[in-house]
Amino acid sequence: MQGLLLQMLEGTVTSLQIFFLTLLFSLPLGFVVAKGRMASFAPIRWITDLYIQIMRGTPLILQLIFVYFAPFYVFGTSYDRFTACIVAFVINYSAYFSEIYRSGLQSIDRGQHEAAKVLGFSKAYTFFHIILPQVVKRILPALGNEVITLVKDTALAQTIGVAELFRVAQTASSREFSTVPIFIAGIFYFIMNYIVSRLFAIGEKKLEYYR
Amino acid sequence: MKEMIRLSGLRKSFGSLDVLKDISFTLEEGSVLSIIGPSGSGKSTTLRIITQLEKADDGSLEIAGHTLFSSVMGKAVYARPEEERLIGLKTGLVFQNFNLFPHFSVLRNITEAQRAVLKRPKEYAEEKAMKLLEKMGIADKARQYPYQLSGGQQQRVSIARALALDPEVLFFDEPTSALDPELTREILKVIRELAEERMTMVVVTHEMHFARAISDHAIFMDRGVIVEQGSPDELFGNPKEERTRQFIASFED
Repeated sequence: MQGLLLQMLEGTVTSLQIFFLTLLFSLPLGFVVAKGRMASFAPIRWITDLYIQIMRGTPLILQLIFVYFAPFYVFGTSYDRFTACIVAFVINYSAYFSEIYRSGLQSIDRGQHEAAKVLGFSKAYTFFHIILPQVVKRILPALGNEVITLVKDTALAQTIGVAELFRVAQTASSREFSTVPIFIAGIFYFIMNYIVSRLFAIGEKKLEYYR
Repeated sequence: MKEMIRLSGLRKSFGSLDVLKDISFTLEEGSVLSIIGPSGSGKSTTLRIITQLEKADDGSLEIAGHTLFSSVMGKAVYARPEEERLIGLKTGLVFQNFNLFPHFSVLRNITEAQRAVLKRPKEYAEEKAMKLLEKMGIADKARQYPYQLSGGQQQRVSIARALALDPEVLFFDEPTSALDPELTREILKVIRELAEERMTMVVVTHEMHFARAISDHAIFMDRGVIVEQGSPDELFGNPKEERTRQFIASFED
């Protein structure tokens, strides 16, 4: 039993690596995508939109397989599964985050930009100090949903052979002819998501000081 | 008297719609200009061009002797970006909907630009903000957030926010249109006090009596042109144009 838990903790570490690396890259990249989606130059808008449509319109599991195997067929070389897994998650989640950011950015009254302009704030200052804090407050609930989904989606990494928590649990399960490891994995996911949702609740509470 | 604004031949269109056809006026330092006219007459667009929220298509504009744009072969050619920015700091704008920053306290709404744009030290900016809030009669609201204030109080904060940067000329874009009559009086009182201190101002308003009382010069605009301009007594008391008469009469009773 102890050996099993140890293995599962190792799997959890891999799951958490996928989780944090995905957030690290896709949270900022989402902003770039959102900017592209709102660009005044139409072709950039179309390309970004197509990208978002593909990411949202096809299963993540398929994207994982594609990202991992496509380079092999195109260039004849393969690369490390874990890297492929991170790439697939990042391009998928950037698309989702970008739509959340866009909804937040577009919900900010134009008057906020105008007041900032008239007061002489630079564009960067306006974005980081005037607009972004208000956007964060508005999108936090939607962002929380997406981040919780990410915790559960890390289980899909096993499709391309990454030994994350769910794969470890499944392997143990078939080795021991028991569903207990799967059940334990469920508890692990639940605990991770409980922490995530508590953190988001704290964040929302902190931003309640204004309306 | 120093000339604060010299605007001539201003043109602006949005697509095929000509919003401003040939707008010219001058304003001397220390005087107050009121602009009246129906919705869609181009009053707000004029203010938004002078305060750089919109670009002019043609015409020329000098603010306190600095050229923001000038007409070159039928097109408005703007000054260099740094120059634009410096000219922008000479103008302040008070919006109809206040546009306070909701995530900043009242005090920070007034200190933020002083510190980030004018690089004033914190103590100085706060002292200045408190003086302005006292002048506006809402010093006790400094630590509150905009949503906790009435519309009239919010508009006073936004006037303080604009004044904090020491603009040479202050523009008001229908400052009382979002307020009920009682709160409107609060704001008009503040503007009247500024006029008494010889603050150079341009006020777009639907408050006819107020406009007549505080301004040195008045303009009536309709459909993108200045129909009539002159002293407030002439414009409001004895308008020459039929269109002006109709418009002012619509505010009687």
